Amino acid sequence: SSSITELLGALCDYSLSGVSWKRRALGGVSREGVRRILKRRAYGALLSKLFQDGNKDSLSGSCATTRTPPRNKVLMICFDLRVAGCREEAESLEDELGRLPEGASSGLMEVDTVLELLVLLAGSAPPPATSF
Amino acid sequence: MASAANSNLNAVRETMDVLLEISRLLNTGLDMESLSICVRLCEQGINPEALSSVIKELRKASESLKASENSTN
Repeated sequence: SSSITELLGALCDYSLSGVSWKRRALGGVSREGVRRILKRRAYGALLSKLFQDGNKDSLSGSCATTRTPPRNKVLMICFDLRVAGCREEAESLEDELGRLPEGASSGLMEVDTVLELLVLLAGSAPPPATSF
Repeated sequence: MASAANSNLNAVRETMDVLLEISRLLNTGLDMESLSICVRLCEQGINPEALSSVIKELRKASESLKASENSTN
């Protein structure tokens, strides 16, 4: 049970994995300095989103897509995958969604919030390299 | 008491495995380590939209770091 600050710090450290520090240290950029910059950017993104959310709610109320349950959003992605000809991926995704426990039986308090996060990050990584 | 804790631990493990597979199929770029940090942040009440912007922002920052590293090679 870590605090939000510790977890955001862990996320910053994680995103720094793979960066070569030997060369950076020679260039005068320390790991701690970069970590501070990343934390500033992470908090900036977090806070700007919180303020935007506040404005949206006060101006127009929440729209239909934000009210759609995340499980339905995943099913909508399955539909899009089928339309795009990716039947196997759509079926695997539906199977996994069917295996995902709901509520307290998942052992997590916020399983649907995590699913919502995955939907928001869908397709955000570069496609996996294909081997020949 | 101990068996209740064990069964909850097993439930968490199974849920994490399913979430990781969904994450892989959705191509989110999260692995087990980053996913478990995100799960804990969600459990602390962080809004998923805000968290997704944080992740995207951190990715941009680390990509530019790696790009600057490559250009100095």
